Amino acid sequence: MENKEPLSPHIQIYRWHISSLVSISHRITSIINIISITLICFWASLLLLGESQYIMINSFLSSLIGKFIILVITWSFSFQALSEIRHLIMDLGYGFELKITKISGLLVIFGSIILTVVFYLVGKNFI
Amino acid sequence: MVQINLPKNSQVIKGKYFKDKTSSKNLRKVNIYRWDPSTGEKPRIDTYEVDMDNCPSKVLDILNKIKNEIDPTIAYRRSCAHGVCGSCAMNIGGKNGLACTTPHSEIDGDIDIYPLPHLKVKRDLIGDLDNLYKQYESIEPWLKSNSKSESKEIFQSKEDRAKLDGAYECIMCACCSTSCPSYWWNGDKYLGPAVLLQAYRWIIDSRDEERQKRLKKVADELKLYRCHTILNCTNACPKGLNPAKAIAEIKKMLATANV
Repeated sequence: MENKEPLSPHIQIYRWHISSLVSISHRITSIINIISITLICFWASLLLLGESQYIMINSFLSSLIGKFIILVITWSFSFQALSEIRHLIMDLGYGFELKITKISGLLVIFGSIILTVVFYLVGKNFI
Repeated sequence: MVQINLPKNSQVIKGKYFKDKTSSKNLRKVNIYRWDPSTGEKPRIDTYEVDMDNCPSKVLDILNKIKNEIDPTIAYRRSCAHGVCGSCAMNIGGKNGLACTTPHSEIDGDIDIYPLPHLKVKRDLIGDLDNLYKQYESIEPWLKSNSKSESKEIFQSKEDRAKLDGAYECIMCACCSTSCPSYWWNGDKYLGPAVLLQAYRWIIDSRDEERQKRLKKVADELKLYRCHTILNCTNACPKGLNPAKAIAEIKKMLATANV
């Protein structure tokens, strides 16, 4: 009898809002960051093998896919940093009012996009 | 454990359609989760067309109207009908709340009504809250004072009393706990926002003498620190309380006090 009782729907029906979105994105970006840090270490150690390796990586990173990957990593790091600051403030016990969580969540989302653009422009020597 | 998909016996199928018989022009479609333990069938979503011209303002009024006028087989908990007892907690339009205090005018489109998320369903909109009550019992939600004689009143200053504001008003409707993804995945160990808010309420009570013991008891990787400030709880609370902040305060106390 006990096993017959169904489980009521949960994530399938629950409505998303800013804070839950930022929370799940925080998790996803942390996974992206771990993978990308590993890749960067791998890339750095490949440099030890000489010029030909450097050229290979360089041509990959200047291709369209490479540029896209760099942009994703830049956004992911920006998001993680801003979201972590939000968490630090929350750990101090501030910013739990619904309105403020909404505003700080939006700041994290839009701030990460702005930071990505800024990094891009800095990298292109526009700023 | 994170289990995104529902088990096979819990997957929801399309159910019956109850067409309007009043020939009213102001109709709304209400989709309600149904499950009957006496049949072996899967849970289903029944759709009702409800005449809104003759329906009071709250979601509970819709349910009462359906039960009285359209389909008497539907089962749900309700009692006080004005947000004090916490019986009619359910998932309305994708968000947990009390049916008796949620106006249906706030919901766009069809009104979807489900039981509280991630609970064993007893029938229709009635979820099994046994686990939550056991966890509530585990934090020993009563005053513990050993030194003072039981015949004498224990005084509390106005300032100390004010600390309990925002914690004592909780009606244990379970809207917050069942809205929390951490509680969905680890509900067997994580205490959840409702119980932690009550734990906080007793930790900060100036009359209680077992503050240290209470803190120690709750200081556990899974019991407390599964809160990742998703804030579904504060968003859902029909009494406007802030369980997420209470949990943060407990964490802060544990980080700063010698426990």
